[in-house]
Amino acid sequence: MRTLHEEPPPAARTMVRFGREMRQAHFNFAPSYTPLNHGSFGAFPSCVREYQRMLQRETEAKPDTFIRFIYPRLLREAREAVAPLLGAETDEVVFVPNALTAINTVLRNVTYQDGDIILYFSTIYDACLKTIESLEETTGVRGHCIELTYPVEDDEILDRFHTAIREIQRKGKSVKLAMFDTVLTFPGVRFPWESLVPICKEYGILSCIDGAHGIGHIDLSDLTRIGPDFFISNCYKWLMVPRGCAVLYVPYRNQGLIRTTYPTAEGYQPVPHRETLSQTSYFVGLFEKVSTIDTTPYICVIEALKFRNQVCGGEECVRNYCINMAKEGGELMATIMGTEVLENKARTLRDCCFTNVRLPLDVAPEGSQQGRREGKIPADEAKAVADWITIATVNEFDTFIATRYYAGAFWIRISSQIYLERADFEWAANVLLDLCSRVRKGIQSSYD
Amino acid sequence: MGSSNQSSILLDRGSPVLGQRILQHFDFDPKHRNFNHGSFGASPREIRKKLHYYQDLSEARPDQFIRYESPDILNESREALAKLVNAPTDTIVFVLNATTGVNTVLSNIAWNDDGKDEIFYFSTIYGACGKVLDFIVDSSLGRVSSRGITITYPREDEEIVASFKDAIANSAKDGKRPRICIFDTVSSLPAVRFPFEQITKICKEEGILSLVDGAQGVGMIDLDLGALDPDFFVSNCHKWLHVPRACAVLYVPVRNQAMIRSTLPTSHGYIPKSGERFNPLPKRHKSAFVNNFQFVGTLDTSPYLCVKDTIEWRDRVLGGEAKITGYIQTLAREGGKQAAQILGTEVLDNKSGTMSQCATTNVALPLDPEEASPALDWMMERMMEDYNTFIPLFIHNKRSWARISAQVYLEMQDFEWAGQMLLELCGRVKTGEYKMSQAVVG
Repeated sequence: MRTLHEEPPPAARTMVRFGREMRQAHFNFAPSYTPLNHGSFGAFPSCVREYQRMLQRETEAKPDTFIRFIYPRLLREAREAVAPLLGAETDEVVFVPNALTAINTVLRNVTYQDGDIILYFSTIYDACLKTIESLEETTGVRGHCIELTYPVEDDEILDRFHTAIREIQRKGKSVKLAMFDTVLTFPGVRFPWESLVPICKEYGILSCIDGAHGIGHIDLSDLTRIGPDFFISNCYKWLMVPRGCAVLYVPYRNQGLIRTTYPTAEGYQPVPHRETLSQTSYFVGLFEKVSTIDTTPYICVIEALKFRNQVCGGEECVRNYCINMAKEGGELMATIMGTEVLENKARTLRDCCFTNVRLPLDVAPEGSQQGRREGKIPADEAKAVADWITIATVNEFDTFIATRYYAGAFWIRISSQIYLERADFEWAANVLLDLCSRVRKGIQSSYD
Repeated sequence: MGSSNQSSILLDRGSPVLGQRILQHFDFDPKHRNFNHGSFGASPREIRKKLHYYQDLSEARPDQFIRYESPDILNESREALAKLVNAPTDTIVFVLNATTGVNTVLSNIAWNDDGKDEIFYFSTIYGACGKVLDFIVDSSLGRVSSRGITITYPREDEEIVASFKDAIANSAKDGKRPRICIFDTVSSLPAVRFPFEQITKICKEEGILSLVDGAQGVGMIDLDLGALDPDFFVSNCHKWLHVPRACAVLYVPVRNQAMIRSTLPTSHGYIPKSGERFNPLPKRHKSAFVNNFQFVGTLDTSPYLCVKDTIEWRDRVLGGEAKITGYIQTLAREGGKQAAQILGTEVLDNKSGTMSQCATTNVALPLDPEEASPALDWMMERMMEDYNTFIPLFIHNKRSWARISAQVYLEMQDFEWAGQMLLELCGRVKTGEYKMSQAVVG
């Protein structure tokens, strides 16, 4: 059994072709399962699993020795390994269990005056919105939502952002913080966050980037040059680390704003004591031990990066494969289903590892019985249909294809990954064709 | 390690023999003696296999398992734990650890604007929980303050109760309003039993919310939440219940569930005052309180899923909760006395012996505090390097102490060994050996 001090055998370090070969060699999905939804819960290769179990074994062997003395050193190593992916310095990067914890940490540490605004878009991740609503209950801050319906051009997004800020200022209020994504959850599309950050700076607004889909998914080495105030990303998704592990990036200039972790734990110092420490020492110390949890996922970053470098050829290789496969695979699916991929005119949405393809289902015009007869879906049944399709992919086809009724049509989101190839997208399209045909027949027969 | 037959404590004929024989179920380094179960717990191999089993299911079909299957297993574990503590299942949810549980409760209290609210706590409060109070007070802009009640051991229960009543009287004199009191079942340093039943009762009488920090609780002492009826209760499962890290239980009786608005972090289950919103997760629990805690950001919740299996393992392999708590409490008392005898000192206890009604023991070191203080870190390091063990050392009431956690895999012989080891180590301190080496910051 491997211990902390041994290097793995050379066989584990040979490069393997992406696609089915990669899946067989390194991943642990059930053989009959088709993993098309990496974006939700991630997946990690066997070598990372073995590494995690080795860390857990060492913890069980000598709990206090490992947790109190060995772990802090490994934590620093892991932070040193991940910081370069953000183009950041080690002491600007800390680990937390997941993006939601990081978002709560930032949003709850910022202090708000009555009437301050948090600006966000309608595409915000649901639980992030819940966090803002919880803050509305407990502080004087209010959220302000900018509506977006896809497809939309980047310029339009920037315009609406400007407009919203000016509108708020005209009313005599102040935007304290703006929160937006790198890549949206649904639809799974690239968001022009790099262009929004300078606008925030212009107006003196704190920018908090929900990069849940960030590290390992898009190139973030320019992050510090772009200069957001806070950046958050999950590592258990696209960086192939076990659940739960996320990074919180706070540039030196903002570290004084972070007074506590969530939950508050040993590292917290009341104000008078805090002032005896340097800002950075306090910030890094805060996150070193946040009550007892299994922090082996944080350390697994070291092994995951080794895997991605040595077996996958490096971050750029992984990204290029995934993004190109998403584009190709999506187009293939659209061709098979006779529909289209979600894209805007400037073709910026698909610069990510997701593809969103429309299903060949139509919605019946309001009150139209004729529509039903043609197998068109009444709008008030659309959500149920979307849910039915999702569950059917689970129960009948041993996969998971997220289906939603959005902007008058049915869309699916597929996550591309190094363990997938064209054949998987082709298979998915045929599964969906089958399900859609059954939906149409079901609607028709309910009319009869 | 010595023969396990010679000094095992046999409870009755035919029941599992506890003691060193139980080590076979754990994965400690063979040279390591585990005397500090109270800090991070330990989980038997069979349960770790179960943990891996659930983790592998999440890897085999992530969405299937996480969205559709794990909520059902979670509910089974909630039910198993609820039975253990005599509480209704829908008052029991899991959180990562007791500190998170305490944070969750305190951050959900809506403090009054008149600045009269107070949080009561005892000086033996767990460090991180003290920090939570600090943060709440610091960030409340004067709306809430905290009142600490000093306890120096040894103390009789009546004295602690009297101090509590005094604090209530003083609070009233100061024109304040105690909203909530946080107190332990068994404190951390020193690790002694606290008269939590009596304090809970007085809180009820005085209209103060009781937040019982039972971090050292489930699996170590008998807990009847039905009889105790606290306002809030937390306990770690990954300590004395042998569940893998990390898992704790948060108990909130139905009457208080509406107070707990948000989890930490806020997640899908949160229902804003404006009314319900989209929740992407398919399996909704009918109780809004339980549903709120079902998904709190993506975590590996496999430890939560293991709770049912672990309770069953303790029944089958160790002989059940009563046998376990009886064994470890007796061993702590007898073993502590034995170690103290070897050291020529005493165990921290009161005359009525209520402080030692738990599975931890605090044995005085034969060192003056001036000798001990500067050497404590060095001693703990030496324990790891030279003696392959770890025992937390601390100063309380002008004396230095060692805290030893009894466990099902320990027996009297281990406590004798610990006494000898500590004696030798104290001898090395007296010769000034620690002054010659660099102190490493732990």
